Amino acid sequence: MLRRMFWTLGGVGLFVATTTAAQDVGITRNMASVTVVVNGQTHTITRNQDPAHQVTGDAALTSRPCPPDCVTPMIAGPGVATVGELEVIAFLSGDVSEGRGLLLDTRDPGVFAGGAVPGAVNVPVATLDPANPYRLDILIALGATAVGDGLDFTNAFDLMLMSGGPWAEDSVQAVRHLLDAGYPPAKLFYYRGGLQAWQLLGLSTVPSDADG
Amino acid sequence: MIRLVTAFFVFAVGLCAYIIYAPMMGKSASPDPLGAEVTRAVTLPDLAPASEPEAAETAPATAAPGTQDLGSMIAPDMGSRILAASGGTPARTAPTIQTDSSTIEETAAAVLAGLGLQTGAPAPDGGMLDMTSTALSGIMAATGKAGSPAAPRTALQDLVVEALKSGETDAGIDTLLNAAAQAGEVAVPEILVTANGRVDTAVLLASIISQAQIANGGAAPAVPATPTGSQDGVEVRIVQKATDSEQFRFYTVSQGDSLGSIAIKFYGDAGRYPAIFEANRQFLSSPDQIRTGQRLVIPDL
Repeated sequence: MLRRMFWTLGGVGLFVATTTAAQDVGITRNMASVTVVVNGQTHTITRNQDPAHQVTGDAALTSRPCPPDCVTPMIAGPGVATVGELEVIAFLSGDVSEGRGLLLDTRDPGVFAGGAVPGAVNVPVATLDPANPYRLDILIALGATAVGDGLDFTNAFDLMLMSGGPWAEDSVQAVRHLLDAGYPPAKLFYYRGGLQAWQLLGLSTVPSDADG
Repeated sequence: MIRLVTAFFVFAVGLCAYIIYAPMMGKSASPDPLGAEVTRAVTLPDLAPASEPEAAETAPATAAPGTQDLGSMIAPDMGSRILAASGGTPARTAPTIQTDSSTIEETAAAVLAGLGLQTGAPAPDGGMLDMTSTALSGIMAATGKAGSPAAPRTALQDLVVEALKSGETDAGIDTLLNAAAQAGEVAVPEILVTANGRVDTAVLLASIISQAQIANGGAAPAVPATPTGSQDGVEVRIVQKATDSEQFRFYTVSQGDSLGSIAIKFYGDAGRYPAIFEANRQFLSSPDQIRTGQRLVIPDL
């Protein structure tokens, strides 16, 4: 009831409300913020509450040279679902918080440290490449079990993969590497929008000062 | 008419029976798993007989020699020859050490880089190890699981660099590496695994030295004079082919041998091991699987 009042209030007096601390910019009509617990840390995902806020810096770039940063396809691999922000949030508050899934950010460690989706784990695409001699360690950490010469992914984590944006091939390649390794497509999800789309919606990042 | 049909039917049944049984007869008729090309051909009379008892000797037969079971009565020589060809001893009793897909060149280059000499050889995977470790610790933290005990955490090159810097002797480095390998803390290139399940430190150190010499403008190691004596475990056979005769060298693996050390023995360079590995693919599932008593074909380069 109280929340509905908030929304009515927000709809009527939009610019009056911007000066207050109230949640004027929700995530959905019925969701103002989401709490995610990963790695013992509690993250609250909200949107930037300043209606006049604009993305700056990397998040505002439109024309990264291609190659290497080329527009990626909607579907990263056969049987792999492509998701948007709400699915990412639901995945974080559900699967990830309950220990069934992991949101993997496949960018390089340097850029990951500059800002990422709360609860994301940095697994650079290079570490999933078959050329990485230690890749098996990662697959096993993701829940694969060695069976004879092959791997059994029955109990492996559900994985959502993301990178810098719809121009970043890292996550697409990571999906393909995992599929090649035998990861079941039903356990893989591709967040094509990546960090750029996340920031474009003013969603929280960690560290919090790194939003575009 | 009916006679014709019956005759045709009988012929068809006979043909079927022949097709089914002929391959089985063929198989039992060629008892030699070493590869028909090599051993079925005419061998020099003075060399061939000497080789057979040796192969039988080095391979302990599974059945005790005294027991007169059917198998040993039919083919007293066959079992031991199969054993010699397929792996020498039935099972390796020494503890197995972990290997990875890194090459000895990469490891040697990484060691030299660690000592301050850039060889221009392919970049070592140390960076990848670090990146993987970081990613792993991120996954472990998020999933709340302890690090998997099987995952090696130290790079072989770091261990060697540290030992060399602290002035360890070759024997000291050998002890150190083997202790780390047995404890599962470090993975080594496959060709450094000896027949008795140890790390062939000598080959690693030799490769580091030869790579350093090449980097400093020295010549690549020359192919050494072929060891030929049977006391070295080497045996030479000349096979007559239709047009010419071809020489094959065989080498019987002894305890401390690794594929790397055998490559150095015959080719002067551990990095040339793939020639031997490829020629013996039917007995070697991977380069770290050589066993004492195994007889390897050594192709000419």
